[in-house]
Amino acid sequence: MNGSSNLLNWILWMPIIGVLGVLFIPKAKENLIRFWSLFNTVISLAISVVLYMKFDQTVPGMQAFFNVDYMWIKQFNIHYHLGIDGISLPMILLTSLLFTICILSSWTIKKSVKGYFALFLFLQGSIYGVFLSLDFFLFYVFWEVMLIPMFFLIGIWGGENREYAAVKFFLYTFFGSILMLVGMIALYHASAGTDLGVNTFDILALSGGKFQSLNMELFGYTFSFSKLFFVFMFIGFAIKVPVFPFHTWLPHAHVQAPTAISVVLAGVLLKMGTYGFLRIAFPIFPAASVYFANCIAWLGLVNIIYGALCAMAQSDVKKLIAYSSVSHMGFVMLGLAAMSIQGMNGAVLQMFNHGTSTAMLFLLIGILYERSHHRWIIRPDGTKGFGGLYTQLPKYTIIFIIAMFASMGLPGLSGFISEALIFLGIFEFNKTITVLALFGLLIGAAYLLWMFKRMFFGEVIEECKAYTDVNAREVLYMSPLCVAVILFGIWPSPVLNIMKASVGQLVSLMSQF
Amino acid sequence: MNLSYLASLSHYVPELMAVLTMVMLVFIESSYGRNDKKRSFFYFGTFIGLGFVLLSLFDSYNDHSTAIFTGSMVIDPFSSLVKIILVVGTMASIYLAKESKDIYGHLKPEFAIMSIGVLIGGMILCSANNFLMLYIGIETLSILSYVLASFKKNDEMSSEAGLKYSLYGGVSAGVMLFGMSHIFGVLGTIQFSGVSARLLELPTTDIVILLPAFLMFFAGVGYKIAAVPFHMWAPDVYEGSPIPVTTFFSIVPKVAGIAVLVRVSMIFFGSPGALQVTWVGILSVVAALTMTVGNVSAIGQKSVKRMLAYSSISHAGVMMLGVLVINELGVQSVLFYAVTYLFMTLVAFYIVTFVSDKYGNDHFDRFRGLIVRYPLMTVIMAMVMFSLAGVPPLSGFVAKFNIFGALVSKKYYTLAVIAGINSVVSLYYYLKLVRLMIFKEQESNEVIVGFGTANQTLIVAMAIPVLMLGIFWSKLMELTDGAVLFIAP
Repeated sequence: MNGSSNLLNWILWMPIIGVLGVLFIPKAKENLIRFWSLFNTVISLAISVVLYMKFDQTVPGMQAFFNVDYMWIKQFNIHYHLGIDGISLPMILLTSLLFTICILSSWTIKKSVKGYFALFLFLQGSIYGVFLSLDFFLFYVFWEVMLIPMFFLIGIWGGENREYAAVKFFLYTFFGSILMLVGMIALYHASAGTDLGVNTFDILALSGGKFQSLNMELFGYTFSFSKLFFVFMFIGFAIKVPVFPFHTWLPHAHVQAPTAISVVLAGVLLKMGTYGFLRIAFPIFPAASVYFANCIAWLGLVNIIYGALCAMAQSDVKKLIAYSSVSHMGFVMLGLAAMSIQGMNGAVLQMFNHGTSTAMLFLLIGILYERSHHRWIIRPDGTKGFGGLYTQLPKYTIIFIIAMFASMGLPGLSGFISEALIFLGIFEFNKTITVLALFGLLIGAAYLLWMFKRMFFGEVIEECKAYTDVNAREVLYMSPLCVAVILFGIWPSPVLNIMKASVGQLVSLMSQF
Repeated sequence: MNLSYLASLSHYVPELMAVLTMVMLVFIESSYGRNDKKRSFFYFGTFIGLGFVLLSLFDSYNDHSTAIFTGSMVIDPFSSLVKIILVVGTMASIYLAKESKDIYGHLKPEFAIMSIGVLIGGMILCSANNFLMLYIGIETLSILSYVLASFKKNDEMSSEAGLKYSLYGGVSAGVMLFGMSHIFGVLGTIQFSGVSARLLELPTTDIVILLPAFLMFFAGVGYKIAAVPFHMWAPDVYEGSPIPVTTFFSIVPKVAGIAVLVRVSMIFFGSPGALQVTWVGILSVVAALTMTVGNVSAIGQKSVKRMLAYSSISHAGVMMLGVLVINELGVQSVLFYAVTYLFMTLVAFYIVTFVSDKYGNDHFDRFRGLIVRYPLMTVIMAMVMFSLAGVPPLSGFVAKFNIFGALVSKKYYTLAVIAGINSVVSLYYYLKLVRLMIFKEQESNEVIVGFGTANQTLIVAMAIPVLMLGIFWSKLMELTDGAVLFIAP
């Protein structure tokens, strides 16, 4: 059944049209390539805004109006099936917004501009694909395709240690995906035995706990089908989130990647992991998810505390923000594990809010790096890397303060709302974890403020005197994020309303198990 | 139903055509003087001849399956599809040999003639329906291969390769023949259909006696496809031989060997029972070992050709996974894999050959910064590397997906996970090449002669299936779905 709208096709393939366009523009016309890419992402952004306006917020589940469904491979019953609901729409909006901003922030890229923008738009397309696919096979293809542009973007345009970071990122994610692939095929073959009657990859058809009574033999032991493959999927998604102990690729990838790529990594890519839980692991294996919820919550707690402690120990400011992402994604995991209305809403909102606030921080560090060409808070030889930036870069400092406090979860800014919701949810679930997680917040405040103190206050060190304040282009791309962070801190309902119905549906499914 | 001799011949046109081509080429070649480098008529004859073989294969593809020559061979869609792969592989290798500098100029025609001989062996092999034909096929395939391996007469490595290949080959053929005679001794027939019928009614004690015989038989086939532990010869032979020969070796004998394995497994061990469980067990262990040893050994290689050689060992292991499923789904996935493997291997070896021709060796370092000089070739090479590792949306991924699907349908989860981890390992060394080509600074600005317009066009043409079969693979599925085995009564 196809809906009356082709919007999802348009938004998915628009970046690919952009890639083709970039390939046809001669290499030397760098500005044309930049403007074309910007134009392309702006169109994608416009389509997402149209999506938002046409979106019916009262309908839980997939919206029939947007549905796109064609047969792709009939032998395996694989469909080209796209759809959108209240969980994927915020992610689409976030992706469109961040990519437009990242194109603006990539204006200063000098090394083979053509390749950079082509790969960047390709990345955007594959990310849309992940968030829109409703066929598991299609989802998997996009999930993996995304690795290729990412590998090259980190490996070619990254920092000193870029190759190591790129390879590590690729191998780690590929490993997780392979386990997911085995699980996916197992689901396909098991689906004919359930009330579905046919083998299918359709995520919606597979959802709803159809596999919980299935058992399987392995080495003479009996395993629960759903528990075993939940673990497979869990590892696949957890590597992306990243959940401790699968997080070790993240600091390398974030630190070595160029600014725009770090923004995309932290802002969108990590959310693909948690989105995977919401779209696939939880609905397909609800009983197993409830069974492992405690485990997920504890892992989330480890993420929060461990990430925060690691962040505190960093002397490279980008690495500090990278670890803070690990910590913040822990909150999302907590919200997911709570499996209550508040917790889940908080988790999805936190995915969105973390996307905006961390993106701001990475962009700000990128801006600073373009001036200083280093990122040391304390250099390896013990001297200060930055000092007294406040007096030198007042406008920059104001934006930085907004981003930092949003990331910290200060009331009135976006991070607070989502974290509060998550705490509400997890409190009913497990009080010990709640109390311990609060310490994570405290450490979070500590490392951010400490970093701020060391970089922005104190005496102005000599080399900082040459830095110029943010220019018009930088203000232009920072301001939408500033607005989002402040607006959704005071008035989160625009985002909450989108997701409410869909999250409610998921929670009521989970509560049956 | 036994077809008459003449009626049998009418089903045997592709093979006859190949034999005729080979004989014709011998005559054409002898008409040339030593100094005629171009030999355009010779190559014209080669490709026309093989083209006709291909056409007649396509033509007979949809004919109904039959057993010919009093049941000693079968012509079925399965064997026809495998033969098509073999012929395409041979044609591409001959063209590569013509373009490459790795083969001495005056030996190039001989390469063409002998590789067609190997091809005929391969064609017999995938149609063989009794042990005798199978043995003849393997020997035809092998004896000419020994010569091909030692083609660089003045090169120590190449002579070593030839000697090693023939020694190993001789021993394994002997072991295999012993196994076959043992099977004949117990069952009293060499006809495949007779063997499978007798196996069903055999008491368990006799089956126990037969098992070692089947193992010995497996040694012979396993040697051809370089399955661990019969793989020792492979890396040295692949490295010592000229690159076009390596290309040829990693496609034709390997795919033909896999085809035999498929036929034998399906006919002898198709029905469930103790025998099938044992056979599947043996194949599982061998396949898992083959993948792992191939991949782990490939990591440390300094020569790209050697790396590809080890990786082709591991790909044979993956194909064996499809074999051990022993059902239609498995056969289909093996065929699909073989088709995609053909294109990926060809493109990779073509590019390695031309780079190696320029520098005289194929060390990883020669590929540094290739993107600056030959962006198109580099992008294609990177694509093929990703495809070999099994990254979507490339055909290598779909091939692996099919194999995994066949495994999981039989609930062999452990094997699927082992295969999955292996593709992560393989990704590591494939990425090494991609990294060098794209992330590193170039060593020099020299022009690589082999990347002329014609050769680049050919490479692009062979790379298109690598991408397209990853996205639109419904048609190929239909083709492999129809390529059923015919089990002669």
